[in-house]
Amino acid sequence: MQRRSFLASLLAASTLPRLGWADAGSPAFLAAAKDATGAFVLHGLSAQGETVFALPLPARGHAATAHPTRPEAVAFARRPGTYALVIDCARGTQVARLTPPAGRQFNGHGTFSADGATLYTSEVEAEGSAGRIGLWDATANYARIGEWASGGIGPHDLKRLPLSDDLIIANGGIQTDPTDRRKLNIATMRPNLARLSPGGEILSQAELPPDLAQNSIRHLALLPDGRVAFAMQWEGDPADPVPLLGLWDNGALTLCPPPETEAYVMQGYAGSIAHSPTLDALAITSPKGGAVQVFATDGRFVATHRRPDACGVAAGPGGFIVTDGNGAISTLDAAGLLPRRSTALSWDNHLVALAI
Amino acid sequence: MLLRLALATCLFALPARADVAEAVSDHILPGLAHFRDTTATLAASDSCDPAVLRPLYHQAFDAWIAVAHLRLGPVEEEGRALAIAFWPDPKGLGAKAQAALLKAADPAILAPDHFAEQSVAARGLFGLERLLYADPAPSGDYACALTQATADDLAGMAESVAQGWQDDFAATLTQPGPGNRYLTETEARQALLTALITGLEFNADQRLGRPLGTFDRPRPERAEARASGRSLRDVQLSLLALRQFALKLVPEAPQTQAAFDRALSQADALQDPVFAGVSDPQARLKLEILAQDIRAIRDAALAELAPALGAGIGFNAADGD
Repeated sequence: MQRRSFLASLLAASTLPRLGWADAGSPAFLAAAKDATGAFVLHGLSAQGETVFALPLPARGHAATAHPTRPEAVAFARRPGTYALVIDCARGTQVARLTPPAGRQFNGHGTFSADGATLYTSEVEAEGSAGRIGLWDATANYARIGEWASGGIGPHDLKRLPLSDDLIIANGGIQTDPTDRRKLNIATMRPNLARLSPGGEILSQAELPPDLAQNSIRHLALLPDGRVAFAMQWEGDPADPVPLLGLWDNGALTLCPPPETEAYVMQGYAGSIAHSPTLDALAITSPKGGAVQVFATDGRFVATHRRPDACGVAAGPGGFIVTDGNGAISTLDAAGLLPRRSTALSWDNHLVALAI
Repeated sequence: MLLRLALATCLFALPARADVAEAVSDHILPGLAHFRDTTATLAASDSCDPAVLRPLYHQAFDAWIAVAHLRLGPVEEEGRALAIAFWPDPKGLGAKAQAALLKAADPAILAPDHFAEQSVAARGLFGLERLLYADPAPSGDYACALTQATADDLAGMAESVAQGWQDDFAATLTQPGPGNRYLTETEARQALLTALITGLEFNADQRLGRPLGTFDRPRPERAEARASGRSLRDVQLSLLALRQFALKLVPEAPQTQAAFDRALSQADALQDPVFAGVSDPQARLKLEILAQDIRAIRDAALAELAPALGAGIGFNAADGD
């Protein structure tokens, strides 16, 4: 019997034991996309980038986060988000839909507590973009159980720091119009990286130097040693090259500028970031520049790879997997970036690794 | 088995449709060859007399504008596109870097290998413009040697780009498939469509947008190649090149071609070679109309060329998040 049909019959059994990630077998990644008909979808992908399941999305998606033990993930709407979907990754089905409380909007990202009991969501107050972290009870059908201040304006990505229940939050600093995403405070924006305790207390807030205040801190990748790599989007003059990658080390920030010849490639924009344990390297993507830049984990620049509209990136078997808006799934390893599969989809901003 | 294998090989080796092949053979390769030849002529001159070099500089600059939108392949390597034409440069990095070279007056850095490692801001066409149009002109043997080293370096980059396309990148683009940088014909078309659209946006947003600034704060000093009086000429030549490029990609695109014609006649009617009019309300209006006309070409090209090529672009690039 083939593994999948065995699994299906197992799933059909009523005396089903609770499944873990190992039982799910697949998928290895989640990614939102737009399909050829213009509909928004969520795909579960195998390690080789093949679609394992596809689900419709109510509106354009963004990122997702995996439950630490259950084969379950939560997929988030693109900001200003009105939904988050809880997905059973073993069955490829939607099991719950979260809606932000009145006056709140999801901002595209979320993460679980270490024990998987709580889901934290990145949110803003619709008016003014003050950052909130929404708390949802993952043991009780994701009931809304509270919220905290995120420590800044316009939070975007957030992660749970390893070996703790502290959260690290990329407060992007940008106040946006609640309906049309217009940016309202570029002249005065002040992004930060905030660390929150499991009780919601702001333990530290790290800011960029004043001349980089218009560099919105938006996406995060955890490093095995406890540091956090962060990717930025420059709202200042695009002809003025600034670092787009930084490293957070317990509240201290180090910026990682590429050499001059590579400093303009990304056009001031990093859309996603990932760490590859295999290569011990970081990748940041720029759909605007049509490129992926790789850095060592000490911040040294390694290489630029070209890929039009590249944005999604996650650790993969030989290094990284990269997805782009033109539908390709590429591998990025020591030999370089190579497109492997072409699909009729426009892969959206993030490729989310589910490996726990 | 053999037949299947042969068939598969055949499918993968199939050249992209005539659109990509024609753009490469009729637009890209001739343009790059002309850029190589004009920069070689400039570099071959023994003179340091600006009166002798300026016409050669303009020929080389004209040739660059005809290919400047082709931001893919060899020109992306080693920062060549930046080094050939380091603009926009809002912080004046080029002037600072060149002043430092002149001050140090170190003959060793003028050796080709060494010069190619200098700041991209100091090199290329804008490095030459500062040397040929400075007032007063920098004089002395070192300034002369720097002029020649800059011209030689420019010619070397033009040669590398033309050669890189000839040897390798033209085939990369026209023979997509597994193991190649472009997996499908659609991807190759997308790459060229992106170059076209980005080239149009560069004219509207940078070449015109930078000097236009805002109504309350126009920035005439930010016009491209102002010292050598080329600001408007660069827009005109770029539009002509982009029109030819679009025609090679999709021969039947009447709205796009009409939009090009409108923008070009608007540009031709301007008597404002360096966009000095940005500070004058009436002259400014004409420049704003030209920028709008160029954005209208982009919109027409996206509406007409993208479906014809079966290639959309910029799902993530246009999103921002």
